[in-house]
Amino acid sequence: MQGIVIPISMVPGNSIIHRMNPLPKLAWSLGILALAFATRNPAVLGAAFFIGLILVLVAQVGKAYLKVVMILFPISLTLITLQSIAPAFPPPWTPIVGFGPFTIYQEGIYSGISMLLRIFSMTTWAMVTIMTSHPSDIFTSLKRIGMPYSLNFILVMTLQLIPILQSEFGIVLNAQKSRAMKGTGFGAILPSMVPVFVGAIERVQQLSISLESRAFGSTGQKTSYRQVRMTFWDIALLVIGVLVTGSTTYWVIVDRTLDWSDTLVFHPVFAISLVIFATLGFLTFFVLALRQVLKA
Amino acid sequence: MEPIIKVENLWHIYPTGNVTAVRDVSLEINPGEIVGIIGQNGSGKTTLVKHFIGLLKPTKGVVYVNGKDTAPLKVQQVAANVGYVYQNPNHQLFARTVRDELAFGPGNLGIPEDEIEARVDQAVKFFGLEDFLELHPYRISFPLRKLVGMASVYTMRPDVFILDEPTTGQDNITTQTVYRLIKRLRDEGSTVLCVAHDMILLAEVVDRMLVMRGGDLIMDGTPREVFSNHEIMSSTHLTPPQITTLSLKIQEKYQSFNKTVLSIDEMVSEVQKSSQS
Amino acid sequence: MTETKPLIEFKDVTFWYGSTEDQPALKNINLTIHEGDYVALLGLNGAGKTTLQLCINGVIPNSIIGEFQGEVIVDGNDTFETPVREMAKIVGMVFDNPEFQLSQMSVGEEIALGMESLGYSYPDMVKTIDEVLEIVGLTGLIDRSPFGLSGGQQQRLSIASALAMQPKILVMDEPTSNVDPIGKEEIFQVAYQLNRERNMTVIMAEHEVEVMAQYANLVVVMHEGEIVLQGTPEDVFSNVELIQNLGLRMPQVAAFGHDVEKLGLIDLGGQYPVKLDQAVETYGPLFNKKAG
Ligand SMILES: Nc1ncnc2c1ncn2[C@@H]1O[C@H](COP(=O)(O)OP(=O)(O)OP(=O)(O)O)[C@@H](O)[C@H]1O
Ligand SMILES: Nc1ncnc2c1ncn2[C@@H]1O[C@H](COP(=O)(O)OP(=O)(O)OP(=O)(O)O)[C@@H](O)[C@H]1O
Ligand SMILES: [Mg+2]
Ligand SMILES: [Mg+2]
Repeated sequence: MQGIVIPISMVPGNSIIHRMNPLPKLAWSLGILALAFATRNPAVLGAAFFIGLILVLVAQVGKAYLKVVMILFPISLTLITLQSIAPAFPPPWTPIVGFGPFTIYQEGIYSGISMLLRIFSMTTWAMVTIMTSHPSDIFTSLKRIGMPYSLNFILVMTLQLIPILQSEFGIVLNAQKSRAMKGTGFGAILPSMVPVFVGAIERVQQLSISLESRAFGSTGQKTSYRQVRMTFWDIALLVIGVLVTGSTTYWVIVDRTLDWSDTLVFHPVFAISLVIFATLGFLTFFVLALRQVLKA
Repeated sequence: MEPIIKVENLWHIYPTGNVTAVRDVSLEINPGEIVGIIGQNGSGKTTLVKHFIGLLKPTKGVVYVNGKDTAPLKVQQVAANVGYVYQNPNHQLFARTVRDELAFGPGNLGIPEDEIEARVDQAVKFFGLEDFLELHPYRISFPLRKLVGMASVYTMRPDVFILDEPTTGQDNITTQTVYRLIKRLRDEGSTVLCVAHDMILLAEVVDRMLVMRGGDLIMDGTPREVFSNHEIMSSTHLTPPQITTLSLKIQEKYQSFNKTVLSIDEMVSEVQKSSQS
Repeated sequence: MTETKPLIEFKDVTFWYGSTEDQPALKNINLTIHEGDYVALLGLNGAGKTTLQLCINGVIPNSIIGEFQGEVIVDGNDTFETPVREMAKIVGMVFDNPEFQLSQMSVGEEIALGMESLGYSYPDMVKTIDEVLEIVGLTGLIDRSPFGLSGGQQQRLSIASALAMQPKILVMDEPTSNVDPIGKEEIFQVAYQLNRERNMTVIMAEHEVEVMAQYANLVVVMHEGEIVLQGTPEDVFSNVELIQNLGLRMPQVAAFGHDVEKLGLIDLGGQYPVKLDQAVETYGPLFNKKAG
């Protein structure tokens, strides 16, 4: 019924990116993922993020993208705050300024910024892929390149089941309220899990009988109803994607000079305002979210 | 008499999909009335009755239960007076045993232990649940779970008892239990609202029927009035009980006969009347 | 009437879900169903209707654990030896909880699922999907999510998914619970048309005796795992005492006939009309006396 709807899903449209085969999109996204883990150079990560943003515009999924960012951004801001006082670097660290027991370090600011960019470069590319591809097309393409039929089915089913269980949970909670349930908080929510859980088991049992009765699991040649086109351009983009992201990843690993953590020096005013902004941003979000939860 | 439920210009629009499920409905229900609510799938029946227990809040308009506006009330507060039996018992049952299930509602209402026990015993006898008391609600069959769902609301003794599709998937014997429940609630002076597609049930137990179509309340009358209103029945694609249809068809064929019957017994006494004349 | 060859034969079938010490769910079932039959399975909750239906495509005994005795032959196949997924080409199953049978992201893919497993070509699938959607009245919903459909539409979708594999036999377990009266009527109509026009054999479990009497040519009454009565609707519903002792309901028009006959106001010789049109014919004169 109510429940939280997962915001990351396909946004219907007809942009160039929508019309592409999902495989090149997946290849690029995975490439960027590898790249993002291979480097912490803010410029490289920033560039990947920036190109991702351009794709968001080309695909015309800006609104849906912003909705996700509104949640993701404040949460990621904690990285800046936490990293600034406890960098993910081997010491020694270079202090900038101290606040009582806490000290903000140069390495911390660097690490915070690059982690933020790392998250945003990866997720932006991934979101463009998900928001412009019909999930069935993604699964069909994966089946084509050899993903087992049953694994595919499990993935599809799981994806379907999440929102269903979420809404069942809401219904069950309401059913208990309508019997004047007194408790609130976790203790009251726990019993609601029982019917949802039992329901899920019954669903799976019934589904397995029903699937078998529809010849699912037959051993012969299988065909696919969903047709996904693979044009010359799709193949070209796939190959280019693998080459570009692969070679960039190789480059950032090999070229040691790209680690700017020693050379980049942040001005204390910049560092302090950044940390304050991040902390306030996160806290505001947290308070707002808490109010929302309590109201429900 | 003060109406126990009063609805003024109620609208309900679901934000997802922007569906207007209830459109400008006004009605009053008096204490002790037995009311059936009918209409096609998706006509807004469930949406309407969920307002009476506060599970849904009006998009526009006001719903009063026992004279109180439900908008600011929590479901738990309304539930002291109004009981709602879900269509799907799996959404409702969660306790470890059937006995705990029946005691859950009255326990929440702060009823003394011995009174709860008395109510549970009485409900067990009425619904014939003796053999299942110590079983987990999910170990018993689906039709029985439905009876447990009804029993667990019955033990709360609400002033208003709402049943959503109580007889779907039920055989004749459990359906008879639903008949007996409604008749007993009538004797105890409760108000009953029954959403159902089962016209045979409604024809025999309700005094008044509300007909919904596409979110509108299009008719409010006795079962006899509703079933014999050809326009309403055909525009909602509802079919009266077979025996009622028989009487309507005979009316069409032989103008001398003009009674719309609701039950087999009524039809039999019509035959007796016409054979005596 | 010409004698058609038996399509489904149950020979002394007994089945226990648990151990043989408990009550069996099916007890010495002997039943012959011919091609083109429209069979109504009646009985109280727990009488064994679903269990009997699961034997027809071999889910029992192949996929559900239990103790099975006897033999079920369907279109020449012994269900004990034929895998369920093979039987799927002959028997289409529609279960009572439509939502629990769905898994795919769109109506089209849901219907295609079985055909994909059997290796249908793409053009065949497209053609068949259009056809079955038309039959069940869901044309235009091909791209909708199955989980966003109403209960009645989901029930139609599971019928369409079963029909897509062009089975000879359509087994339906209470296919219209939760469906409004018109939706019910439509689903029974669909089954009836398939039965008339394509000679499809239909086996339906249902609690609503009026509709079953209207459409079925063979009524099978079950009680505690046994078949206690079978025959045409007229024959079965002439056993008023037995039906009522079993706790079952008679079609209203037949029950009415029985009551009126008991009062001596009409003589029907113990055979009551079970369909509405028959009833209007038979009972009309009773109400016309005043005018005549
Ligand atoms: N949670 C919801 N979100 C969006 N739309 C909804 C929701 N619940 C119901 N609807 C829509 O509101 C309308 C009325 O639904 P409702 O459940 O009240 O109908 P109903 O008369 O009870 O039908 P049924 O006989 O199938 O139970 C339908 O169009 C339905 O699709
Ligand atoms: N999975 C199972 N495990 C154990 N026992 C079962 C199972 N399914 C059914 N039974 C039992 O087998 C008997 C026959 O059940 P079945 O479901 O076939 O009845 P039914 O006539 O279809 O009833 P309904 O009208 O409620 O659908 C019942 O006693 C039931 O409790
Ligand atoms: Mg409803
Ligand atoms: Mg069954």
